[in-house]
Amino acid sequence: MSWPRRIFDALEGGLAPLAGRWPRLAFTSAAAAGRLRNRLSRRWPSPEQVQALFPGLEPGAAARVAWRIGGLEARNRLLIDRIRRQGLDPVRPLIQTPEDFRALRPPLVLGFFHVGAVQALSPAVERLPGPVLILRQGLLSTPRPPVRVESTEGDGQRRAAVFRRALAHLAEGGFVVVALDVVPGPGFRVPFLERSIELARGPFALARIAGAPVQPLAARWRGGGVEILTGPALAVEAAPEPKVQEAALAGEAARWLERYLLESPAEMGLGLLRSLLGFAPDGGS
Amino acid sequence: MKPGAVENEVRDLLRSRAPLARDRDELPDDLRLGPGGLGLDSISLVELLLECERRLGLRDVAGLLEGPPLTVGLLISHLRTPTAR
Repeated sequence: MSWPRRIFDALEGGLAPLAGRWPRLAFTSAAAAGRLRNRLSRRWPSPEQVQALFPGLEPGAAARVAWRIGGLEARNRLLIDRIRRQGLDPVRPLIQTPEDFRALRPPLVLGFFHVGAVQALSPAVERLPGPVLILRQGLLSTPRPPVRVESTEGDGQRRAAVFRRALAHLAEGGFVVVALDVVPGPGFRVPFLERSIELARGPFALARIAGAPVQPLAARWRGGGVEILTGPALAVEAAPEPKVQEAALAGEAARWLERYLLESPAEMGLGLLRSLLGFAPDGGS
Repeated sequence: MKPGAVENEVRDLLRSRAPLARDRDELPDDLRLGPGGLGLDSISLVELLLECERRLGLRDVAGLLEGPPLTVGLLISHLRTPTAR
């Protein structure tokens, strides 16, 4: 391991205890350290990698976006560490939910992508005005009831059973919160940033069968806190074939994410960046 | 419902929804509906069972998903039981 990497790892490790007492200060410091780390290493992402995905950015702007992604990743590492050590309690006061989020009404499928402060979504959805079911592959910590969590891991029949419970939850007037860009079962490959992205079919099929809208959901760092935002309900024209209708919804979701990231490219996490650039997961430092 | 009607309805439904079922002359009772059998994915499995509920006027056929791996025979025998009605 190189000495600069050891220094930054030690610095981040030193911020962990600070986050217990002064979380906002710790997260702001982690962002500064992450930006500096990226600026010095010019890696993960490099300005060239950012420019490959956002060719409209000048080299200087691409470098600044790369630094900010470095800052995003450092804050997320610290957030994950906090949640692992102390659960969601210290995270809850950092979350800001706008009025339009609290005004959402079920039945509704809230679809999120792995961008921004994605781990902060669990405590945020506790504030939704209705029962919430989160469908996840893995979960760092369990939110407070009435939020329920179901794992989407397992074979086809186990996932089908979870899908059925999610349908029942929507029918009873609940919210279902689900990742759109994790594909444990069938999926759709849709255009995205001049490339393509695979989105899960499940959330769109769930919405179609339940007759519920799908709305994008995201979390973004604002200083030492996290702001929650929602996109408009995805709307497509009715299609005679269910799969065509679902694929159109998936395409609309990808277009929403594309617009969001073109506006705020520094919200792109390394996982999505790596997958778009064709790198294996964990391909960098 | 006439004897054998449920079997016929289920087998027709499977042939219409599972491409792998169309090429088979018979759909034996021990044939799995999911991977390793008719290859229905999670969403198709749910849709198949919801369609059974609609066509046969039954409740909670999709509850079968919570049990052992679904086979053609298991589905038919569940649909035949009076408690399903």
